[in-house]
Amino acid sequence: MEELMQILEELRPDVDFENETALITNGILDSFDIVALVGELNDEFDIEIKPNNLVPENFNSAKAMMALIEQLQDE
Amino acid sequence: MFSDPESSITFAQFNDYTKAIGTYIAKTVPQGSPVVVMSGRHVMTPACYLGVVRAGCFYGPMDADMPTARLNQILSVIKADYMLVDKAHVEVASSLDFNGTIIVLEDIIDTQPDAQLLAEREASLICTSPLYVIFTSGSTGVPKGVITSHQSLMCYIDAVTKVLNINDTDIMGNQSPLDYIAAIRDIYLPISTGASTFIIPKNEFAVPTLLFETLNREKITALCWSVAGVELPAKLGAFDVMKPEYLQKLCFSGSVMPCKYLKIWQENLPDVLYVNQYGPTEATASCTYYVVKEKVDDDTVLPIGTPYDNYKILLLNDDNQPVKQGETAEICVSGPILALGYYGNADYTEKAFIQNPLNPNYRELIYKTGDLGSIREDGVLEFHGRKDRQIKHMGHRIELGEIEETAKKIEGVLDCCSLYNKPKEHLYLFYTGPATSKEIVLYFRKNLPAFMSPRKLVNLEALPTLPNGKLDMQTLKTYFK
Repeated sequence: MEELMQILEELRPDVDFENETALITNGILDSFDIVALVGELNDEFDIEIKPNNLVPENFNSAKAMMALIEQLQDE
Repeated sequence: MFSDPESSITFAQFNDYTKAIGTYIAKTVPQGSPVVVMSGRHVMTPACYLGVVRAGCFYGPMDADMPTARLNQILSVIKADYMLVDKAHVEVASSLDFNGTIIVLEDIIDTQPDAQLLAEREASLICTSPLYVIFTSGSTGVPKGVITSHQSLMCYIDAVTKVLNINDTDIMGNQSPLDYIAAIRDIYLPISTGASTFIIPKNEFAVPTLLFETLNREKITALCWSVAGVELPAKLGAFDVMKPEYLQKLCFSGSVMPCKYLKIWQENLPDVLYVNQYGPTEATASCTYYVVKEKVDDDTVLPIGTPYDNYKILLLNDDNQPVKQGETAEICVSGPILALGYYGNADYTEKAFIQNPLNPNYRELIYKTGDLGSIREDGVLEFHGRKDRQIKHMGHRIELGEIEETAKKIEGVLDCCSLYNKPKEHLYLFYTGPATSKEIVLYFRKNLPAFMSPRKLVNLEALPTLPNGKLDMQTLKTYFK
């Protein structure tokens, strides 16, 4: 989780990732943030995020992202 | 004619709305005045623009999502006395440094049209009257307002209609913010050809499968997107899930297309017409186009093609002399598509729009784009980057000088240099001083559009210099990763 928070913090230091729960739905993260984020997560956690994973539910909060990462690591 | 996820308007309704808005504005605002329009991503925004025009005025569109400081900068350049806003943005409008009158769209939409007044205002317009002022990055730290005339816009729209063969069966999918130059196709092609435009919600671009679902649900046939927008679904693997079934035409511009992504589009949609466009806002969106007939490869570099109708291109070297075929020189453009200049900035205008040095006989202005190009043997133009430090990032044009000027205003930033890592699409800021990277990014997010915020910050003891005292950018580039 710490690693993820560090990536998010570096990506968008202006966003409160601890508490935000509608990052995509409310347009806080834009498409370019997502492209950058997907690249970093794939590298950092050695996973492959597929287009089907790119739904708001998986990226609306840091917690949801962590759950997705763990799920993909298990596969 | 225009639709978004929540509503849809017909041509007749568009006509009625623009008459109502036009009548109110004509009764309130002196003819020939600028009117700032700040309205959301919905069908009524184009109606606001054209309502202003029907009143014999011109519009300066602003995106309310931009930071307050940026909006105030735009207001300080355009110095308008009137601002037209939708209800959702009244609060933002009231918080700005604006002493003029705020007109609320919802309050005036039922205005009884005054046919005679509208006819008078229409008659006051000539083809060189300004149509809009669109703002773009300026190296001094203040945005430049590019003024486009009715005639320039129509020349461009007619030319692009011909190349893309846009007609009343086409449904376009709008990607660009409505205040940005790239949206003029999505707004004016329907008006001129009878096509329709669907305004795609911004957050769908973060969810590629949703984006393609929308293209299919709305049966979208034509896209005029930034290169960055075209890259996104290919990068995020959207084609693994589905394809845009109805798409026939895809026109892209704004930066150099990395062909590994275009290849994915071509492989999945081989029958689509792909058009690469090139050109600056100062020449009404685009100057040249190239129809991609070949199958591209990862390392293909697309040429920028040949001029659109009514665009003249010349290549001039540093001595303002023409160059031989194959030699690289500055791309200059002339024709009725040249902007009227930069709003309220005669100095800048005179520097950028000059008499054609090859023409001593009559007045012929050219615009020096600052872009470099060369002509192939077959007469096709190729693009070779910039003469100066302007970059294209996420489909937007940015002066690195503006990034530096902004950073220098931050307490704790002593000196800085901004560079662009193009392959990675990272905007870097190298700086000295005690400021933290968080403080710097927060300041950028507050003062400039999101796409101008540096992605990578590097704090240094001192900026490296060359023996002649100039900044050593090559050493800085070794920090790219």
